[in-house]
Amino acid sequence: MSGKVIVITSGKGGVGKTTTTANLGMALAARGKSVVLVDADFGLRNLDLLLGLENRVVYTVLEVLSGDCRMEQALVRDKRQTSLALLPAAQTRDKSAITPEQMKEITGRLSETFDYVLVDCPAGIEQGFRNAIAGAEQAIVVTTPEVSAVRDADRIIGLLESAGLKGPRLILNRYRPQMVEAKDMMSVEDVLEILAVKLLGLIPEDEQVIVTTNRGEPIVLAANPPPAGQAYLNIARRLEGEDVPILEFKVPNNGFMAKIRALFSGR
Amino acid sequence: MQTLPNSLPTQVSFKGTSEGLKLLVPVELAWDEVILQLQQRLNAGERLWQGGAPVILEVKDRLLDGPQLQAIDALLAAQQLRLVKVRTLRRQTAVTAAVNGLSVDQTDSTPPKDPSNPEPLYVHTTLRSGMRIAHPGPIVLVGDVNPGAEMVSDGDILVWGTLRGLAHAGANGNANALIFALRLQPTQLRIADRVARAPDTPLATPQPEVAYVSENTIHICYISEYTRRR
Ligand SMILES: Nc1ncnc2c1ncn2[C@@H]1O[C@H](COP(=O)(O)OP(=O)(O)OP(=O)(O)O)[C@@H](O)[C@H]1O
Ligand SMILES: [Mg+2]
Repeated sequence: MSGKVIVITSGKGGVGKTTTTANLGMALAARGKSVVLVDADFGLRNLDLLLGLENRVVYTVLEVLSGDCRMEQALVRDKRQTSLALLPAAQTRDKSAITPEQMKEITGRLSETFDYVLVDCPAGIEQGFRNAIAGAEQAIVVTTPEVSAVRDADRIIGLLESAGLKGPRLILNRYRPQMVEAKDMMSVEDVLEILAVKLLGLIPEDEQVIVTTNRGEPIVLAANPPPAGQAYLNIARRLEGEDVPILEFKVPNNGFMAKIRALFSGR
Repeated sequence: MQTLPNSLPTQVSFKGTSEGLKLLVPVELAWDEVILQLQQRLNAGERLWQGGAPVILEVKDRLLDGPQLQAIDALLAAQQLRLVKVRTLRRQTAVTAAVNGLSVDQTDSTPPKDPSNPEPLYVHTTLRSGMRIAHPGPIVLVGDVNPGAEMVSDGDILVWGTLRGLAHAGANGNANALIFALRLQPTQLRIADRVARAPDTPLATPQPEVAYVSENTIHICYISEYTRRR
């Protein structure tokens, strides 16, 4: 898939869409790309929070649409990465405040001036989802290795494909190698076998993600990013077309891949 | 002799039903006219429907190709309506709908030409959560049937892939119907009016299996064993 308008979606809520959007945006901007993050989660916006930009939001996409402000005025520039901007959602309105057509117009306009337009999708398969995918040329599906999250991701992939967004790629988040090893969590292979899509990245569970989120400083900004931050940086490189190997962390003492193979042949 | 005027509506029309909004597209209408009428109906501002309402497209004998289906879907989506299912009498349209990720219902009140031997439906797709295929004849699916997906047939069901969702063979009461899969790990199997869950522990070495009814219950065995016994 190509195109620079990318929607980050999941089906199930709370699996890490907004965290992913913030970190990928930051990582791409750090690579010198101009990036705009579009918050499509009307009524439950929090992308501005994760980026530490909440107090600088003046206008939202609604004022842009109504002509009450220019696009430039609504865009909030990041203080750390000046090539990163945020187009905020309206917190006080719900998803019906905007139509898919309008969303398409907005992302289309932004793609004229930015290298990447990342759209943070709300959870669910209803109108908020329809809006978020309307202008997208590519889709990234985020899931955790839980049965219910994978089931919802599967549903979303079907809906994306039927909406013409073929070949969505997957980010598997909050992965815990120890639990996988103990067979208490689905493995990468288990998830990929069901979803049958390309894996874009694997992010370990890491409490630093929560800490940095609460601070409004995405984990990729850390001076020496921990594995979860490194994983996001690698995803950014993959989006740029680089070939970066996927498995980035191991269970101590035990070759992680070796373990997976053993698991498989033992079935 | 004079033929009576066709009493069927030759208009694109919407009808509210318990399953959702039904969109009826008459067979005899030219494609340009279909699109025009659909646009008119959608723009007419009749707000009988809720945003996000599921739409069932009913096309009877009309042949629809992929781009046509996508065009209808796009018009509906622009009005916050979701195309979820296509009800058709044509196998080709059913296949098109299935590969476009839509649920398919190839059933109708009008009986098939040879009711004892309905045509099989052959589809090449991954049936994902929330999708459903219903067909009066046998279904051959090349791909996986994921948890949360459903297949319903009055005849046999063959899955050339892993069956993890729900399959209902012999849905009209035929207990001789069979369910085949390269890997059988279903959420649930139904044959006629019998229901079975898959064993909790999947096979150590997956092999093609078949489910059949014997002595009133559903049994599962390797296809190799089954054919040997016959
Ligand atoms: N890899 C990770 N390790 C630990 N915690 C994580 C990880 N990824 C996300 N989280 C935490 O999970 C929570 C939900 O994340 P986030 O808000 O990004 O999800 P979301 O999919 O956008 O949710 P919603 O559907 O509500 O929009 C947050 O508290 C976040 O810090
Ligand atoms: Mg979110």
